[in-house]
Amino acid sequence: MRGVARFSVPLLATLVLTACGGGGHDKLASKVHGYNVSDQPAPPAQQIFRRRLAMSPRTIDPTLATGIPAYNVVQDLFEGLVTLGPDGKIRPGVASSWDISADGTTYTFHLRAGARWSNGQPVTAGDFVYAWRREVDPKTGAEYAQSFSPVVNANAIIDGKKPPDTLGVSAIDPHTLKVQLTERTPYFLVMLYNDYCMPLYKPAVQKWGDAWTRPQHMVSNGPFKLTQWVINGHLTLSKNPYYWDASHVRLQREIDYPISERSSALSRYLADDLDFVDEPAFPASDVKWLEKMLGKQVQVSPYYATAFLGMLVHKKPFDSRDLRLALTMVLNRKVLSNQLMGGLSLPAYSLFPPLPGYTQHLPAWAHWSMQKRLATARRLYHQAGYSKAHPLKVELLYMTEGVQTRNYMEAVVTMWNQALGSDITLRNEQWKVMLQDIQYHNADLYWSSWVGDYPAPYTFAQQFVKGFAMNYGSYDKPSYQTAVAAAIAAPDKASRYAAYGRGEDVLNHDVPFIPLYHYKAAELVKPYVAGVQPNVVALHLARYIWIRKHSVQGS
Amino acid sequence: MRFILRRVLGAIPTLLIIITLSFFMLRAAPGGPFTTQRALPPQVKANLEHMYHLDEPLWEQYGRYLGDIASGDFGPSFVYRGTSVNDLIKQGLPVDATIGGLALLMALLIGVPLGIVAALRQNTAWDYAPMAGAMVGISIPNFVVAPLLILILAVKLHWLPAGGWGDGHPWYLILPVVSLGLPLIAYMARLMRGSMVEVLNSPFIRTARAKGLPERTVIMRHALRPALMPLISFLGPAAVTTLTGSIVIEQIFGLPGIGRFFVNGALNRDYTLVMGVTILYGMLIIAFNLLADVLYGVLDPRVRLS
Repeated sequence: MRGVARFSVPLLATLVLTACGGGGHDKLASKVHGYNVSDQPAPPAQQIFRRRLAMSPRTIDPTLATGIPAYNVVQDLFEGLVTLGPDGKIRPGVASSWDISADGTTYTFHLRAGARWSNGQPVTAGDFVYAWRREVDPKTGAEYAQSFSPVVNANAIIDGKKPPDTLGVSAIDPHTLKVQLTERTPYFLVMLYNDYCMPLYKPAVQKWGDAWTRPQHMVSNGPFKLTQWVINGHLTLSKNPYYWDASHVRLQREIDYPISERSSALSRYLADDLDFVDEPAFPASDVKWLEKMLGKQVQVSPYYATAFLGMLVHKKPFDSRDLRLALTMVLNRKVLSNQLMGGLSLPAYSLFPPLPGYTQHLPAWAHWSMQKRLATARRLYHQAGYSKAHPLKVELLYMTEGVQTRNYMEAVVTMWNQALGSDITLRNEQWKVMLQDIQYHNADLYWSSWVGDYPAPYTFAQQFVKGFAMNYGSYDKPSYQTAVAAAIAAPDKASRYAAYGRGEDVLNHDVPFIPLYHYKAAELVKPYVAGVQPNVVALHLARYIWIRKHSVQGS
Repeated sequence: MRFILRRVLGAIPTLLIIITLSFFMLRAAPGGPFTTQRALPPQVKANLEHMYHLDEPLWEQYGRYLGDIASGDFGPSFVYRGTSVNDLIKQGLPVDATIGGLALLMALLIGVPLGIVAALRQNTAWDYAPMAGAMVGISIPNFVVAPLLILILAVKLHWLPAGGWGDGHPWYLILPVVSLGLPLIAYMARLMRGSMVEVLNSPFIRTARAKGLPERTVIMRHALRPALMPLISFLGPAAVTTLTGSIVIEQIFGLPGIGRFFVNGALNRDYTLVMGVTILYGMLIIAFNLLADVLYGVLDPRVRLS
C-alpha cells in the first residue's frame, strides 16, 4: 500500500541535462557504464550492498511496520512461515512444509528444526503465536491487525470483545503451528510472508518495550540482523550467522540509506555511492535519457499496483452510472501513460493489474476506437442531464506531494473538459488532509492508488467489498459481493480466477471507480549486482543478492 | 550580567507564545498522526490515541505538555515509534551544529578577508572580482548550488561523495558545508567591504594616518574593530539562516539532521516532534541574537554604557 508521500525536485535532472548539453550524455555514459564485471563473486570483504530507501522507516517492528521502506528492511531482518523467492513467488520459509485440511480452514505448519534467532535461540511455534496475538491485540495499535480477519476470533479480538489468547492459532509442540480459519481463504498462505506475520522474540519485546527495535536490543530470525540505525541517516544490517540458510547468503552487509529526494538518490547512484535504487527510482519524465545513459541498469518491470480515481457512488453527481461511464470512457489512457509517464505505466481499464495466470476482464469499450468512445461518452453525458449550458461542476482532489501526479491530473481534467464540455477543476491537498477528507466523505472525486500487499487478486478485490474499512466510496453491489465470496470459497485456482473475472465484469459495468494506470516499477541496479530479479511485488530479498567481482574501466 | 539575565527572562514569554501558537496550530491542521491510508479499526485507533493522551481535552493536553517540557521532556515521537523526541534531537542536532558551525566559520575566514582586501583596494580588480562573485553568490540559492556541486564534483569527477553523513567523516562534510556557506561568504564579504570603506573615510582614521602610524597599524588597531560591528550584528541572523538553510541542505544531501525531522514531522503530524524542533529553533534563534548583542557590547563600549 502506498502510504508514502513523495517529493520530487527534478532540478538535478534538469541540470544534468543542461550541463551535459549536446554529446555530453555519451561521455558520461561511457564512464558510468564502464565496469569490468566478472561472473565470480567478489571477496567477502566487498560483499556490501548499498541500497536507497524512499524514506526513513517509522518503525521496523514487524507488527507495526507500514509503508514500503520499512517492508524492505523487515523482510531482510525477519522471515515468516513462508517467504518469497527472487521471482516473487512463495516458497517455504521458517516452515519447511504445511498441511491444509480438505475444507481449507485448518493449516498445520511444520517448522524447521534449524531455524534460529540472531542470538542462537531456536525459533519456535510459540514465537508465531506470541507475535500474531500481539498483532490483533487492540492495545498494540497495529495498522494491519485486520489482515488477520480470516483467523478464528481475530475480528472479535480487534474489536476488544475477546482476549487476544482466544486467537485461532496454537503451538502443538515447539515445531508445529496450527492455525484455524473461519472459512476457506485462498490468499492466506501467500499473505504469510508479510511483515505482520513474522515471528517475534518475546523476551526482547517484553524487556525493552517499544525500544526493542534499537540495534543493541533487536533479535531477529532472518538472513540479516540490525547492527546500526541512524534515523534518516542509514540502517546497517549484517549477516546473521544463525540463519538456517546462512551458507547460501553471500552478502556480508546491507546498508540502507533513506533518501526521499529522487534527484538526490539518482546523483548518489551516479556517483557510485549506491548500488541499487528502489522503486520509484526516478520521475517518469527521466526514463528516456536515463535509459540512454545507463542502459540495462534501468530496470523497468510490471508492478502489482493500480492508480485510479475514487468516487462517492451514492451521492450526487456520481450516483449516475451514465456519468461515471462517460468519464471513464473519454480518457485516452494510452496518451496519458506514454506521453506523460514515458511508458512507465500500463493503461488500466479494470481493477486487477496483470498477474501471471490471470486474464484481465476489460470493459467492451476498451477495444473501441477513440472516436466511438467520444461519441458514446457525449451521449451518456447528455443522458445524465448535463450539457454546455449545465456542465458538470466538481472538484478532483489529489495530493500536493508529487509533481507527476499533478501533471497527470491536469491532463485528465483537460481531456474531460475538452471532450464533454464539463467544468471539472482540480484541488490539491497535503496527503494527510486528503486522506481525512476521503475518509470523512468530504471528497466526491479523488486520486487514489493501491499497491497489492501480496501477489493475489484479493488484495485489490477487497477494496470494493461491503464493510471493508477502505471501501471509502461505500460500493455495495450484491452481485460483486457474491462473485468475491465465490472466489474465496473456490476450491481451485481456475474457478477462483473465473469468479474474480465475474467480479471484474460487475465493476466494469458499474464503474464505481475510474481506473487510470497499472504501475511499472522503475529501479536502478549496478551491473555488478547479481540476484535482483524483476518481480511483481518489487521486493528483492538481500539473501539472493551478491556482488560480482568488478572494477571500474580505465582506473 | 544584568543585561543578559534580563534578556534571558524576557525570552520566556516569547517562547511561551511560540509554544502556544504552534501547539494549537498543529492540532488545528486537518488529519492526525494516525490518519493512514488504511483506516484503523476504531478500537485500535482509540487505544493509540489513549496511549498518547490524544483522547483528553485539548487544554488538558496543553497543560500536560507544558509540564513535560518544563522538566526537559519533549515526549515520545508519534511517528518514529519507540523513540523519544529528545533522542531524535540528540541524534540530529550535532549534525546541524557541525555543518552549520563549519559553514559559518568558513564564511568568516573567507568572507571577512575578502571584504577587507576589497575595501583597501577600492575600485580595482581586487574589489570588483570578489564583489561580482559575491553578488552571484547571494543571488544563487543553495538548492541550486548544491546539486551543481554534486553534479560536477561527485557525479562527473567522483572526487567527493554525493551525499550521506558517513558518520561525520570530513569527506562527507565538504559539499554540504560549502553549499551552505557560499551565500554567507558573499554576504559577509559585501558587508565587511561596506563597513570598512565607511570606517576608512571617518575622521579618526584620518587622524591616525596624520600622526604617521604605519598603514598596517591603522587598519589592524583602529579600523578593524569598528568595521566589524555590522558583521557582529549580522552573525545572529546569519546563524539563523544557516539553521533554516540547513533544512534544504539536509534534504539534498540526505543528512540525518533535525531539519528533516521538522519537515517529515510536519507532514506526518508528529505533534511532539514538530513541537520539539520548533522550541529548539526558537531557543537557538533567541540565543544567537543574545550572543550577537553581548559580543556587540564587548567590542563597542558605547553600547555597554547606554
